[in-house]
Amino acid sequence: MRLLQKFKNKGKSSQYKGSSNYAYLATRVRAMKSNLVPTETYPRLMNMGISEITRLIQETEYKRDIDELARTYSGVDLIEHGLNQNLAETFTKLIEISEGEPNYLITEYLRNYDVWNIKTLLRGKYYNASTDEIKEAFVSAGQLSYTFLSELAGKQSYSEVISALESTEYYPILKEYDETNLSDIENRLDKMYYDGLFNVIGGSKSKDRKLFATFIKTEIDIKNVKTLFRLKKAEVDPDEILDLIIDGGLELNVKNIKKLLSLSYDDFVQALSKYSYWDTISEIVSSDTDSLINVETQLTKHSLKSASSFSHVYPLSIVPIMDYIISKRNEVNNLRIITRGKAANLSDDVIRNQLVI
Amino acid sequence: MAVNEVKPTRSELIELKKKIKLSESGHKLLKMKRDGLILEFFEILGKAKNVRAELDASFKEASEKIGIAKSVEGTITVKSTAFALKDAPHIQVESHNIMGVVVPKIESSSVRKPMNKRGYGVLGTSSYIDEAADSYEILVEKIILAAEIETTMKRLLDDIEKTKRRVNALEFKVIPELTEAMVFIRLRLEEMERENTFRLKRIKKS
Repeated sequence: MRLLQKFKNKGKSSQYKGSSNYAYLATRVRAMKSNLVPTETYPRLMNMGISEITRLIQETEYKRDIDELARTYSGVDLIEHGLNQNLAETFTKLIEISEGEPNYLITEYLRNYDVWNIKTLLRGKYYNASTDEIKEAFVSAGQLSYTFLSELAGKQSYSEVISALESTEYYPILKEYDETNLSDIENRLDKMYYDGLFNVIGGSKSKDRKLFATFIKTEIDIKNVKTLFRLKKAEVDPDEILDLIIDGGLELNVKNIKKLLSLSYDDFVQALSKYSYWDTISEIVSSDTDSLINVETQLTKHSLKSASSFSHVYPLSIVPIMDYIISKRNEVNNLRIITRGKAANLSDDVIRNQLVI
Repeated sequence: MAVNEVKPTRSELIELKKKIKLSESGHKLLKMKRDGLILEFFEILGKAKNVRAELDASFKEASEKIGIAKSVEGTITVKSTAFALKDAPHIQVESHNIMGVVVPKIESSSVRKPMNKRGYGVLGTSSYIDEAADSYEILVEKIILAAEIETTMKRLLDDIEKTKRRVNALEFKVIPELTEAMVFIRLRLEEMERENTFRLKRIKKS
């Protein structure tokens, strides 16, 4: 109920309560950052087997989560669920210890986990998955707590789930769900998340908030470029693609994207060379590229590297906090890529290519 | 047919001749069928080898793609996304005839779907998921094709074996026995003819 109340109170940008505690938060985040796995550990992990990696991970802050989940899971599943649980707890902790503006910014940024969990609920109910199966797929790193989500997972039908979310801002979209338009609802929820982020950065005037805005806008650009690559390659109708474009990018505004939409795939690839993202992908992309996996990996790396490039400026602002969120998420991703990759017998080159170190 | 069971009569000889003629034409037809089936079998064997190689390659590709998707996006993401896909491909099994052998013809639809029609949202997923789904759709298509070709191959092999046994039975058992019986009756009839002639000569003399 507390969470629902929080949702009710949540208004549009700049309507946050309490004084901002940047100094306190920055100190806590600095301490938390020191617990991250050092960069030089990854090459060592690449040379280890799964059991050795498990032992090494158990020597880090993930030990408690892995021990806790050891009764339910084993092997690589245990590691993955342990990593996710730790990520969820860390981000929830950040929301809890922050006040005022940083709390608002962090909550808005981590809202994608709420969107993810709502999508999982709808998908699970659509598939008639069991409550446990749905609960397994939650990552409660946003505002919706695991207990609340578990209650929703136990509901009999999707309509009961949607009714329970009536007081949230997702309801206007969710109420239009009728079991035939799942992908449309998912896309609208994701767009709502990015629109929310765009609203957050809308009125930023200070230098640190401008950096934060640049980071969000770059993320929107990268998301749009990835969407364009996927849909152009699949030869989807330009109007349908336009519906999935997120407004508010740094280099690619809707007007530019409309121009790209009218082009063929080959011309679209050529036209991208005008933008700064081209440098990241120019060596791997061509008109006859079969797989977009490497393109997407490189774009993700670009997004993370651009975020870390300004992480050390403005120490008492949202910037180091965002840097920690990104670094933590990246650490979880890297550890999962190595363990899952080794379990799936992927070659070292393939695994290394996916890592962002 | 044992020789001692044969009645050495002219009507039996005519009956046997008919049987031998029928067996020989049956033997000839079965031999032609066997040869035809073997030709068909080798034709399908070539196709089966290609399909099996393609199936193995598709499986390897699909395993790698799902491995990448699971490692980059996480099993949780892959599993949750899979919940959004409820439609199973439609598979229709019909049959057709190759030289009397009934073989299946498997038609499939809605196996491959465009990326934006699969059921999951585009914005919340990635090309890791797309490519894993794509490669599994290709794998399912190859499995259906391989199932059709390999079942046809097995049915043809069974029928070749059966036809071969029939050809051998006719060639090495039925026809030789009938021929032996025919020879026996012919000899017996000749013998009886000679006995009759001798008997008539004896009667004439006395």
